[in-house]
Amino acid sequence: MQLPVLNDAPAAKKGGCSASSCGSTDNQMDSLPDSIREKVQNHPCYSEDAHHYFARMHVAVAPACNIQCHYCNRKYDCANESRPGVVSELLTPDQAVKKTMAVAATIPQMTVLGIAGPGDPLANPERTFETFRRLSEEAPDIKLCVSTNGLALPDAVEELSKHNIDHVTITINCVDPEIGAKIYPWIYWQNKRIKGVKAAKILIEQQQKGLEMLIAKGILVKVNSVMIPGVNDQHLAEVSKVVKSKGAFLHNVMPLIAEAEHGTFYGVMGQRGPTPDELQDLQDSCSGDMNMMRHCRQCRADAVGMLGEDRGDEFTLDKIEDMEIDYQAAMEKRKVIHQAIQAEMDSKRLEKAEKAAQHKQEPKLTTRPVLMAVATSGQGVINVHFGHAKEFLIYEASPDGVRFISHRKADQYCGGDTTCGDGESTLQVTIRALAGCEAVLCSKVGYEPWEQLEKAGIQPNGEHAMEPIEEAVMAVYKEMAAAGKLDEKPETVRASA
Amino acid sequence: MAVKIIESCVNCFACEPVCPSNAIYEAKPHFLVDSKKCTECEGDFPVQQCASICPIEGAIVDSFGLAFNPPGSLTGIPPEKMAEAMAELQSH
Repeated sequence: MQLPVLNDAPAAKKGGCSASSCGSTDNQMDSLPDSIREKVQNHPCYSEDAHHYFARMHVAVAPACNIQCHYCNRKYDCANESRPGVVSELLTPDQAVKKTMAVAATIPQMTVLGIAGPGDPLANPERTFETFRRLSEEAPDIKLCVSTNGLALPDAVEELSKHNIDHVTITINCVDPEIGAKIYPWIYWQNKRIKGVKAAKILIEQQQKGLEMLIAKGILVKVNSVMIPGVNDQHLAEVSKVVKSKGAFLHNVMPLIAEAEHGTFYGVMGQRGPTPDELQDLQDSCSGDMNMMRHCRQCRADAVGMLGEDRGDEFTLDKIEDMEIDYQAAMEKRKVIHQAIQAEMDSKRLEKAEKAAQHKQEPKLTTRPVLMAVATSGQGVINVHFGHAKEFLIYEASPDGVRFISHRKADQYCGGDTTCGDGESTLQVTIRALAGCEAVLCSKVGYEPWEQLEKAGIQPNGEHAMEPIEEAVMAVYKEMAAAGKLDEKPETVRASA
Repeated sequence: MAVKIIESCVNCFACEPVCPSNAIYEAKPHFLVDSKKCTECEGDFPVQQCASICPIEGAIVDSFGLAFNPPGSLTGIPPEKMAEAMAELQSH
């Protein structure tokens, strides 16, 4: 099958298993009921698979917030930053509608529009709902999402259910007010600023009530949690259990981002984020109870494009001002393209299932699991040079198969200099980001990084360029097993924990 | 008697809808308070609403120029700790 040519679209590739969890038992969407899976399968934020094909955008229409979180600084606006809560240009609902339609016409793979800030969308009900109301009418082929801290959620459920919104994300970092008091210094509630445990208790009650009300209305709920070592890390498995029992369909545990230069409480006070090992352990421990999301890129509140990329610069206010959009025509084009992408995804999913079945037939290894890093720009193949990779996907190979674990950023959060803070080189930073991995698969590796990687106990591998990720990872795993490398514990693994 | 919004305001809009007197308006480079309309919430609320939702320490001051939310009161970051962190960043 040939896909229509799109700007920046992934080229259609035949053969091999594409995205995550080939031969695995835990595809994050597998355990969902069909009705929910249908709703989320073309949502780039809900599966590692879909995000290589579909794009999303956020419009920054919601500046006000009704609470303070210790990981957020309301003063922030930096073009080099990519993290939640950061935007460059605040939009009016009218500008947001125009921008959304401009992006949808230019990037037909864009299926989802979210409002995520930079404040709390539901603390700006007029601006948020005006945007949703107009988009439901004028661009009915776009799915609408909103994320919230939950404080104003119960009052907003009725209005949310009127629009084209089938997903709501609630950030729930705790269900215990004592823990909440260490995360939320204050809330604005019933015309007062309230602090401490009392504030956290109100916030938690509102979040849980809102969650229950959304489920009762048949709206899908995803829960985001920020993992803060020493604060809520031991508590999040409990959160996962509670939100699952109430009907949330996906739990996304994200690592705390805290740097002094962000000016946040946690950044300035030296609170560290979790190591990749700690994050993975927690996600694994929750996964018995809940579908865990592992590919979140923690994007900006005004991000545009495929996950992990940002094309916001192409759609600034002055640029969209001059764009003439015929949305009816765009919708026709989008429909054709979406159907083609869906067919491509379906056929790849089928191939993947066949590969997995094949793998089950083979004699089972008894070796220990291994983490490997993969450099890819999408399409499910290894296709990026080591030195060009902005991020690596982390896979675990084990006798049960290959499963997607997470992604790790290779560059610094502030994309400015090649050195940052303590003068570490980009290469050193990247190697540190790969801690715990025993191999890195990319299309090519230069001489210098090759040596440094080996020194760090990470075997570079450029032999599987353009091959499907899962097949290559399994091939390398089998080579390692055959060479007797998996008989003993490696020195470097888990050393970072 | 009126509150004032000063230059550290980040234009987050939070205060504008909670003002019972409609005294707050969007302006450049930051939001402003119409001193003729502002009542400091007297008769409406026991505390000034704008100062109760504003996330920026020092951005709203009373008629004597005193901040409703002094440094450290909202973020919980001790001012000396903030100064230390900023000095550390400046030195790089």
